[in-house]
Amino acid sequence: MIAYLMNLATIVAIFGILAATLNFIIGFAGIFSVAHAVFFGLGAYAGAQVALLLVPDALLACLVGAAIAGGLSLCLALPALRVRGEYFVAASLGLQMMAATLFAEVKPLTGGIGGLVGIPRPTLLGVQIGVLPVAVAALALILFLTARLQRGAFGRTLQSIRDAESAAEALGKNVAAAKTLAVAFACAGAGIAGALFALHLSFVNVESFTMDQSVLVMAMVIIGGTGTLWGPIIGAVILLSLPAGLAFLPFIPATEVGAVQQIIYGLAMTLLMIFRPAGLVGDLSKGRSTA
Amino acid sequence: MLLLQLLLQGLQTGALYALTAAGFALIFGATRIFHFAHGTAFTLAGYVFLFGFTGGLPWWAAALCGIAVATLFGIAMERLVYRPIQRHEGSFFTVFVAAFGVAVVVQNLIGMLAGRGFASVDTELSRASEVLPEVFLAPVFWIAIGVAVALFAALSAFLTRHPAGVALRALAQNPDLIRTYGLSSNRLSVLAFALGSALAAPAAILTAMTSGLNEAIGHHAMLISIAATIVGGVGSLRGAALAGLMLGVAESLALAVVDTQWAEGVSFFVLFAFIIFRPSGIFGVVQTR
Repeated sequence: MIAYLMNLATIVAIFGILAATLNFIIGFAGIFSVAHAVFFGLGAYAGAQVALLLVPDALLACLVGAAIAGGLSLCLALPALRVRGEYFVAASLGLQMMAATLFAEVKPLTGGIGGLVGIPRPTLLGVQIGVLPVAVAALALILFLTARLQRGAFGRTLQSIRDAESAAEALGKNVAAAKTLAVAFACAGAGIAGALFALHLSFVNVESFTMDQSVLVMAMVIIGGTGTLWGPIIGAVILLSLPAGLAFLPFIPATEVGAVQQIIYGLAMTLLMIFRPAGLVGDLSKGRSTA
Repeated sequence: MLLLQLLLQGLQTGALYALTAAGFALIFGATRIFHFAHGTAFTLAGYVFLFGFTGGLPWWAAALCGIAVATLFGIAMERLVYRPIQRHEGSFFTVFVAAFGVAVVVQNLIGMLAGRGFASVDTELSRASEVLPEVFLAPVFWIAIGVAVALFAALSAFLTRHPAGVALRALAQNPDLIRTYGLSSNRLSVLAFALGSALAAPAAILTAMTSGLNEAIGHHAMLISIAATIVGGVGSLRGAALAGLMLGVAESLALAVVDTQWAEGVSFFVLFAFIIFRPSGIFGVVQTR
């Protein structure tokens, strides 16, 4: 039971990082990415390769994962600079589909459909450790940074871009730089989550980095409440305990738990948008500010 | 000969893409709603046809059921999801998430009810025969082309001659003026959703007869529609249809060079290139977004 809860806590922390970083670009910068699983995947493959080829050092894996995901985040920043709204969502959907094909096909780097297996247990400075403390520390760091950035000049710039891009530009804010930086920060965070995910499961394949995963993370952010600090974490906890809770219901066959979970969060997304667009944590009166 | 075979194959796929994309473009043009659940109408129509046909209905009855379900789904989305959201100033993202939620629910319900993986309808029509040396064509090719041409002719006649069609085009240009003229913009947007969703149904039915359906095919249909609408130029029905046709041909011709799993990537590559270099599309007027 303890092992089960530890596992759940680790997964929650990892997806908490994903949801928090996605929330950063959706809620604060107004960049509605549906490709977050791509950067999660990049981090995971990078972390896994570091552990397999060099040393299974958790810190190193996270740094490499963050660097690669953050560097390639230009693929997402580029369309974000050109278009907004529906167009950007379409571009990120396209990026997500292309990346899933790439992950499945570039066999030397990703192992193809079979994935990378036998990733060694992580160490930190030569001592073997579990992933949980690292993941919790990373989550705390990301939340702290998000809170700092949100209140600082950079966060204010982003929010002004979200609400009125031309006005921000007229006030002399460098819109392109701010957007690129925000995307790089969020994607690097997703890369860290990916590296931790690879070390935790000691196995990664393309199944974990498909559009379904991107939508799951997006659902966490939206159900919890976009633009809030704790909303995404609460969303992650709710959506990840859902399968565990459903497994106790005897009338749902075990093979259908995944489908039932998706149906529940799909319904939750639609109903929330109709009746409470600001999410569970979000302030209703501020619902319009996420526009 | 391989190229000719691929070209014909591409034309068949492209004709179906064009129909789906035209439905999406019609809805978006008239109502300015980015209907992310358009692929769901496609999936529903395909599966209803599949179940009806394998359940023993004659083909035309099964097809009519498919079209009816798609149309009803479109109307239900407009009335039950988009209308309430727009009443409290729904931002585009609110609309997107709500529609996406519906798509996820329907996809999983179909997966639970119909089983996961590919399902297709096998008829005489989908058996290929050699028409030229080394070129194989199934009768369904002519049906796909014929249906697409006939529906486009009917649609453009409707949009230019029939009062309701003219009103739909007017709604796209100026919703306020429509109300001033005493027409109901609500009724017109229901009409747009009904027509647009119905257009996806024949494509879904023909897809069920050719390459087969799976529960996730809605995503593909939706992405192709979006890609075609953006590449063609938003607001241009003709552009969307032409771009859909081109994407189908491009995906098919690409097979001469790359393996099948990359074919879909070609469409998204084209979409990505257009978004970065020419967001207004081929026929679109330059917009600042």
